[in-house]
Amino acid sequence: MQAGRGSLPLLLPGCAVFLGFFFLPMAGLFLESFRLYVPGSIGSSANAPLTFANYVELLTPAFASFFFETLRVSLLASLAGLLFAFPLAYWMTRSLSARWRAIAVGFFVTLMFLSVLVRTYALELTFGAAGPLRPLLLSLGISPNGRGYIESLVGAGLLHYIVPMATLTLLGTIQNVDPRLVDAAQALGAPAWKAHLTITLPLCMRGLLAAFLFAFTFSISAFVIPMILGKGRVLFISNLIYNRFSEIADYPSGAAISIVLFAVALTIVYVMSHQVLKRWK
Amino acid sequence: MNGRLLDNGFRLLGLVMIGVILCFLLTPIIVTTVMAFDARAYLGPLPPPALSLRWFAQFFSDDYFLRGLSTSVQLAVLSVTISLCVGVTTAFAVERASFAGKEMLISLFLSPLLVPPVVTGFALLLFLSHLGLINGFARLLCGHIIITVPYTIRATLAGLAGIDRSLTEAALILGATERRAFWDVTLPLARTSIVSGAIFAFAVSMDDVAVSIMLTDANTFTLPVALISSMRANFDLSIAAASVMLMLVTLTLIVILEKFVGLNRVIGQGVFRS
Repeated sequence: MQAGRGSLPLLLPGCAVFLGFFFLPMAGLFLESFRLYVPGSIGSSANAPLTFANYVELLTPAFASFFFETLRVSLLASLAGLLFAFPLAYWMTRSLSARWRAIAVGFFVTLMFLSVLVRTYALELTFGAAGPLRPLLLSLGISPNGRGYIESLVGAGLLHYIVPMATLTLLGTIQNVDPRLVDAAQALGAPAWKAHLTITLPLCMRGLLAAFLFAFTFSISAFVIPMILGKGRVLFISNLIYNRFSEIADYPSGAAISIVLFAVALTIVYVMSHQVLKRWK
Repeated sequence: MNGRLLDNGFRLLGLVMIGVILCFLLTPIIVTTVMAFDARAYLGPLPPPALSLRWFAQFFSDDYFLRGLSTSVQLAVLSVTISLCVGVTTAFAVERASFAGKEMLISLFLSPLLVPPVVTGFALLLFLSHLGLINGFARLLCGHIIITVPYTIRATLAGLAGIDRSLTEAALILGATERRAFWDVTLPLARTSIVSGAIFAFAVSMDDVAVSIMLTDANTFTLPVALISSMRANFDLSIAAASVMLMLVTLTLIVILEKFVGLNRVIGQGVFRS
């Protein structure tokens, strides 16, 4: 207790920074989301009446579709990320020598650290409408400016981060699975696919769920990837918040969308870490 | 017999998937690197007929990018320094404290990691304009401090948790003051973790778009914001040149991490965004 009291002054700078730059602004954002907005003005006026209108507006199909689009693309990208990362991580732990595994880990850490700008620009340059794949796409009858293709491109942008991240997350998980369990099942006559399905996969479930949680929360709050690769035709919730601010200065609406996005992210983290992960302990 | 056939099928499928995904991860990076050295004045098909450094020269003759670069570097150095000081003191205080709700306090200090960056930026923008703070650099500094501080706190906490408490106690018994024990025993032992926290914070600050784009003004903007807006305006290859240089920065940071901390420890400490 003595030591605790002595160190309390040390908490002051941290508390000041978090209060001033984070908790008070978040509280202000919450308040702003209930302010009445008069079209044409910049933000709400100082004593604008309180209203639920900014939230009710989000229930209209036009707004709801942005939420569904964000969730759908994020969900597909996260699942695809796990689908590719699992064999990759398995192969790295079981088939690579220690030296090559270290090199592979370095490679994936570098990929994960890669600037989001580099990632998006590189994907647009390679797979975008003006890229070297254009003739191939056209010959396959895919329009590089079609909505479906742009949506896949946004998903690919998310995937480019999710795969290295999920692979590194799963590495530890797979390393903890005793390979003799699968050997035993096979010795007793089970084919390898069945042994993996009934032994490896369930034992890795916690790791898979953790990787999914990282991937999904990363995806739904993505900003640069949909902004550049979506070309204004595919908008994520983050982009919508920015547009509300930069194009029409409707701060209360932007604040309401922010609060909903924050609540969605928080709910996912809570459900995954407290409910789902607990069941797999 | 059937099982064996299926096994081989699955193994093949797994290898094909690994091949496909590695191609997908690497191709864009290779294409960008090659195109950055393209000698043509326009965006032509691969491969470039001749190589040159013209796009690098163009990047460095563009005042818009250079101003962004200068702001970004100043901002990163200043915000990492501040969040390192704040992060280390906070982590140290939390670690030593023995009050109830310590876990709760730690999760409060890490909570900015859960908030989508656009939301953090927007909240800060509203708050600072209510306070009347409209200086672009000051606003950006506030934003960059709050997005980097959780990383320095988390890294320092991880470092402090790995220190045997009896070492500090030994120093105290041998007559060192608390202050002396901190500077001579605790801090050196936590050094590698603190360094990795600083590298993370630096990478986050240099790479941020979502928070910065909310807080920039007409004259003060970061390099990522400048690159984003020119990416939307015209798809020029000087951005490919900038990308190659940013990749080199990333690679340098990874090499530093590997040399000083070791990548295996970094992964354990959470490279992850949330």
